[in-house]
Amino acid sequence: MDAIELRDVTKTFGRTVAVENLNLTIPQGGIYGFIGPNGAGKTTTIRLIMSILFPDSGVISVLGCPSALEAKKRIGYLPEERGVYRKMRVGAFLSFMAELKGVRSPDLIKSIGNLLERVGLGGTAGKKCEELSKGMLQKVQILAATIHKPDLLILDEPFSGLDPVSTKLLRDLILEEHGRGATILFSTHVMPQAEEICEHVIMVHQGRKVLDEKLSAIRSQYNPRIIEFDPLDPNADISAIARLPGVERIDLGDSGYKVLLVDTGDPAEAMHQIINCTTPARLELSRPRLEDIFIRLVSSSTDTTEDRKKLRAGLAHADAKEASL
Amino acid sequence: MNNILAIAKREFLATVATRAFIIGLLILPAIIAIFALAAPRLFSQKNYQIKGEILVIDSTGRITPKLQKTFDRETIAARREEEARKALSNVPPQVRQLTGNSINKNIVSELGPIPEFHIAEMPANSDLEQAKKWLNVQPKDMPHLALLVIHKDAIEPASLENPVYELYVPPNFDDRTDNEIQRGLREAIVNARIQARSIDKSTIFAIMNFPSAPSVTVTQNEQRQTVKGFNIMLPAVFGLLLFMGTMGGGGQLLNSMVEEKSSRVVEVLLSAVSPMELMAGKLLGQLGISLVGMGLYIVLGISLLSGFALLGLLNFSLIFYLIIFFLITYLVMGSLMMSIGAAVNDAKEAQGLMMPLMIVFMIPWILWLPISRNPGSALSVTMSFLPPVNTFAMLLRMTSNTPPPLWQVWLSITIGIGSAYCAIWFAAKVFRIGLLMFGKAPNFATLIRWVRSS
Repeated sequence: MDAIELRDVTKTFGRTVAVENLNLTIPQGGIYGFIGPNGAGKTTTIRLIMSILFPDSGVISVLGCPSALEAKKRIGYLPEERGVYRKMRVGAFLSFMAELKGVRSPDLIKSIGNLLERVGLGGTAGKKCEELSKGMLQKVQILAATIHKPDLLILDEPFSGLDPVSTKLLRDLILEEHGRGATILFSTHVMPQAEEICEHVIMVHQGRKVLDEKLSAIRSQYNPRIIEFDPLDPNADISAIARLPGVERIDLGDSGYKVLLVDTGDPAEAMHQIINCTTPARLELSRPRLEDIFIRLVSSSTDTTEDRKKLRAGLAHADAKEASL
Repeated sequence: MNNILAIAKREFLATVATRAFIIGLLILPAIIAIFALAAPRLFSQKNYQIKGEILVIDSTGRITPKLQKTFDRETIAARREEEARKALSNVPPQVRQLTGNSINKNIVSELGPIPEFHIAEMPANSDLEQAKKWLNVQPKDMPHLALLVIHKDAIEPASLENPVYELYVPPNFDDRTDNEIQRGLREAIVNARIQARSIDKSTIFAIMNFPSAPSVTVTQNEQRQTVKGFNIMLPAVFGLLLFMGTMGGGGQLLNSMVEEKSSRVVEVLLSAVSPMELMAGKLLGQLGISLVGMGLYIVLGISLLSGFALLGLLNFSLIFYLIIFFLITYLVMGSLMMSIGAAVNDAKEAQGLMMPLMIVFMIPWILWLPISRNPGSALSVTMSFLPPVNTFAMLLRMTSNTPPPLWQVWLSITIGIGSAYCAIWFAAKVFRIGLLMFGKAPNFATLIRWVRSS
């Protein structure tokens, strides 16, 4: 049985089509990344799965039920727009969420204390939520989503606003939940995060699915188009490389030069020609990044190079913004 | 059901356990208690001494001696005692008992020190304009209080419509001094007229004066002295209880909804419960809070009435109907308030949508006196069947001196239940869509569009 199944799901808001004919199957025990830029339709899809919104057309099945409403106690959900009762104490808030999720245990208070301890929030059970920092609250919210040990965990932009230490902690928590047997679906617009955790990736753009593949299959399927190299002589003239056939452009980054090939470029041929131009200290084929794959998939339907640049700039901006949080 | 109870419990505890709720609950009885204690001191005339000179131009030449007598300190003291006796005869016997059933010196002394008037006379042919200037000179030890010009026909009036005297006073003249002078002057003129007609004053007094018997209210089980004002105050008190209970509850629901939406906790909740469970839980929790408040006020009210042995005046079935009407009004008001809370982005936007609702619910208050004084009028009957204010209007009619027939009461209750159903239906539709809507401030047209689309 699949954990989530969407068949031809469409959702519109007025004239805006948020999700268009979306088909999705997430098997039980999978760990899926739902990726796309801001406004791609990720949150709407997740809300549809959660039965917070309802589709205009199409069929949704969650944990074998026709609606998530019937399986809410088996689902853990961390929404993108998440909050807490500011005046409520942390322990009481977690206890309330556990009660709503059907957890009836005489040791609930004790286990909440243990959970808080594990995420580095020991001793905060008696504090009011408003007394906690944003990062600490994020951890409390994640505990609230997983306190009932759900069969399906849906996380909408879970890493948003987290510092690197908390990001690692959350990643470990997600992997732990997955290890316990839970199916995980999480959305992000920060592609490297998906690359680190997911087994399977679903990409959406403007409400439509553009990719639905295993990460390993994506890596083997999408030919790398970037060659990274450092010349042996730092002062070597590399302008000749930019004029080589099949080379789109050369960027200078912190880790050296990046040679971007045109769609039809042959990496092996390009590497051979680079060696002929200048002796490299390092020359390697860059692993295909999800971001590049996404740009390639989306820009195939985009007319101009200008549009591609804008799309990449948009994603880069999103990443930069995320990193600075 | 467990989820509804869990949400209701949280809502109840989150409010009841706060200092603000306890203060809010006790503030009304506290204000009444403070007012009851402070009012006698605030309005006491103990420290107000009337003292000064009255200049009289008496064209009859016969009223001034009477004025000397009526403004005499002993006469004023006797007049005050008589007034206190009359006032006391109107209060319930239990209150009268507190005073020891006698007009003692304390009651009279509450009216302030006995005024000290000095009468100075000017010849009848004096220049009035010159005399008026006397008022603009105010010696500190004996202020010039008033210039009194008594007309020639004051004793034998040519017409009953024309005034027989003129009273001139300085600026910033105190109304208590004015009352005291007018009262003494009237008595002096009446005395002069009685004397002029050679009538025996004691005969007239005997004709005019007799103690007025208090009316007796006859109830099914007993009869007791009518308490003046009770029939007017009872609808007001019941209306206030209903208004405070529902407005307080509705306001709390709106605030809590706005807070949950603006703090984005609502989507976290929706991951665990359905919008309907959330709405029902919140309505139930707040209902508990309102019932605690209303129960406290009802118990306080009954204790007060019982303390003054006035409990027999209260028809206890009214409390039953108060609770029924409260439940109906609460569901209407609470649902509508909650739908507003779910639709708006912040408290400021809520004000705009709340205002028309508040105006509608204020209508019975504007019509309180017309309805309770004339409960059978077309206006009163119409209002008591017109949702959402029918519950207020019907309660005002029921607590008036002419209660409506029972079938009208139950028709109003049925209409109320129907309107509560419609309000919940409307709120549920708005609730489902509004909860996750952020951005542009909604108006009533937006809400109706949401209801149609959901």
